[in-house]
Amino acid sequence: MKNGQAKIEFQNVSKTFIQKQTQRVHVLDDISLTVSENEFLVIVGPGQSGKSTLLRIAGGLERPSSGRVTLDGQEITKPGPDRSMVFQTYSLFPWRTVAGNVEAGLRFRGVEKRKRREIAHRCIELVGLKGFEKAFPHQLSGGMKQRVGIARAYANNPEVLLLDEPFGQLDAQTRILMEIEIQRIWQQEKRTVLFVTNNIDEAIYLGDRIITLDGKLPGRLSGEYKVDLPRPREHTEVEFLSLRRKITESTQLIL
Amino acid sequence: MTSQTKTLASLPNRTQPSQRLAALVHSIIGSRYFLYTLSIAIFLSIWELAAVNKVLGNFLPRPVDVLIQLWSLNTEPLASKTLFEHLWASIYRVLIGWAIGVIFAVPLGIFMGLNPYVRAIVKPVFDLLKPMPPISWISLSILWFGLGEESKVFIIAIGSFVPCILNSYNGIRLIDPALYDAARMLGASRRQEILEVGFFASAPAIFAGLQISLSIAWSCVLAAELVGSRSGMGFIIILGMNQSAPSLIIAGMVVIAITACLISVVMGRLENMICPWKRELPQ
Repeated sequence: MKNGQAKIEFQNVSKTFIQKQTQRVHVLDDISLTVSENEFLVIVGPGQSGKSTLLRIAGGLERPSSGRVTLDGQEITKPGPDRSMVFQTYSLFPWRTVAGNVEAGLRFRGVEKRKRREIAHRCIELVGLKGFEKAFPHQLSGGMKQRVGIARAYANNPEVLLLDEPFGQLDAQTRILMEIEIQRIWQQEKRTVLFVTNNIDEAIYLGDRIITLDGKLPGRLSGEYKVDLPRPREHTEVEFLSLRRKITESTQLIL
Repeated sequence: MTSQTKTLASLPNRTQPSQRLAALVHSIIGSRYFLYTLSIAIFLSIWELAAVNKVLGNFLPRPVDVLIQLWSLNTEPLASKTLFEHLWASIYRVLIGWAIGVIFAVPLGIFMGLNPYVRAIVKPVFDLLKPMPPISWISLSILWFGLGEESKVFIIAIGSFVPCILNSYNGIRLIDPALYDAARMLGASRRQEILEVGFFASAPAIFAGLQISLSIAWSCVLAAELVGSRSGMGFIIILGMNQSAPSLIIAGMVVIAITACLISVVMGRLENMICPWKRELPQ
C-alpha cells in the first residue's frame, strides 16, 4: 500500500446475532481485510449488508462471533481512545452545547478544563463551526450537526476514524458539500479512515480504496477497487464515470 | 422625476382614510387579545343568560354572584379559616404527599430502568397497582390512617407515585442506545455513561413525570378533602353543596383552576431552567 504499514486487520471475521433468544441472523461471513495507515478506505454496500456491523466491530462496540480484528497488531475488544466514530444519526448529546459535545471525550478521560477548551476550540475551527460553540444541537442543521460529530471525533485525537454512513441523512446538496469538507479535513489532519456508505459516488469521490459488500446477508466481500484519481475529484470526469460503471456492473448493485 | 415623486407621495394620501380604517378594524378583529376577550365575553354572557333564565333551576348563580362570593370568602372566615388559609391547607397536603411519592418513585423507576433484576421484581406488582385510580384508595386509607392529615397525604402520595415511577422508568429505558454507543466510543466508563447519558437523557421524561404527578396530586387532594375534612378547597366545595350555595362551589372551583394553572406555569419555568436544551422546542 502506498501509505505503508497495516493499521487495522480483519482476520476471518464472522458475526451472528441471536434475536429473540432463538433466531440466528448471520450478518458477516469470513471477512478478511487490511486497512493501511492513513488510508481512506470506503466500504460500499446496500442497506442490510452488514457494513455497519463491520464498523462497530472495528470500534469495539460489537465482538465478532469468530475471527479477530487488530489495531497495530493488538486485538480490539472494546472501544478505545485510539478510535473515534461518527454516526449516521449524529448521536450528539442534546443537553450539551457544541463545545460541550466536542469536549465530551476529553471530559470522560479527565483532561483538565483549560486544555479541553483549547482542543475543542481548535477542532470546532477545523470543521468550520467557529461562532457556534454555545449553540445546542437542536438549533443546528443536519450538516452542522455532523460537523459537530466530526469535531467530536477529532477532539480525542484518534488514530482511526470510523464513519458510519455519516451523510446518509443529509439532502443531496449538503451531502456533496460535506463530502468536500470531510476530504479537506482529512487532508489537513490525516488519519486512517474507515468510511461506510451506500452511495457509490460518495465512495469514489472520497476513497483511496473501495471495498464492496454483497447485497444479501451474510455480508461477504465482493470486490476491491483502487481509486487512483487525483484529489479533489470531479463527479463528471471520464475516469470517475468509468470506475463507477465498472463497480456497478460487477456488483449488480443498483446504487 | 419630480412628477413621479409627486404621484408617489399623493397616492397613499388619496386612499388613506378608508384604507386606514379598514386596516385598523382588521388589526383589532385579527388581534389575538381581542379574540380572547371575545371568547370569554361570549362564555360569560351565555352563563349569565342561563342563570337569569334559570335553565339549571335555582342552582346556577350569576357570574357576578361568584365574584361577590370570592370577595366575601376573603373577608369572612369559613370554619374559622379564610380563603387563603383553606387554599394553603390544600397546597400543603399536596406538597407533602407529592414529595413522599416522588422520593420513592423516581429512584425506583430509575433502578427499574437500569437494572433488569429490579425491573423483574418491581414491575409485576407495579403493573397490578398501576390501573387503580388513586381515589379508590380513599376508603382504605381512612380505615388505616383515620380522618386526619395522614390519610389525605397517603392518597396524594399514591396518586403521585404512579406517573412518576412510570416516567422515570420509561425515561431511562427509552434512551436512544446510540447515545450510549457515542459515550462509549468517546471513552466513557460505565459510571460516566450512566451519569452523562442516563441522567441527562432521562431528565426531561422524569420532569414530565413530576409535572403529571403534581396535577394528579392536586385532584387527589380535592377528592380526599371531600370526605370528612374541616379545611381545604375540597371542604369549601362540599360545604357549598351541603349549604345549597352553588356560588360557593363555583368560587372554590375557580380558585382551584387558577391554582392548578399557576402550578403548571411554575413547573414549566422550572423545566426550562433545569433542561435548557429543550428550551427552544415548540411547546
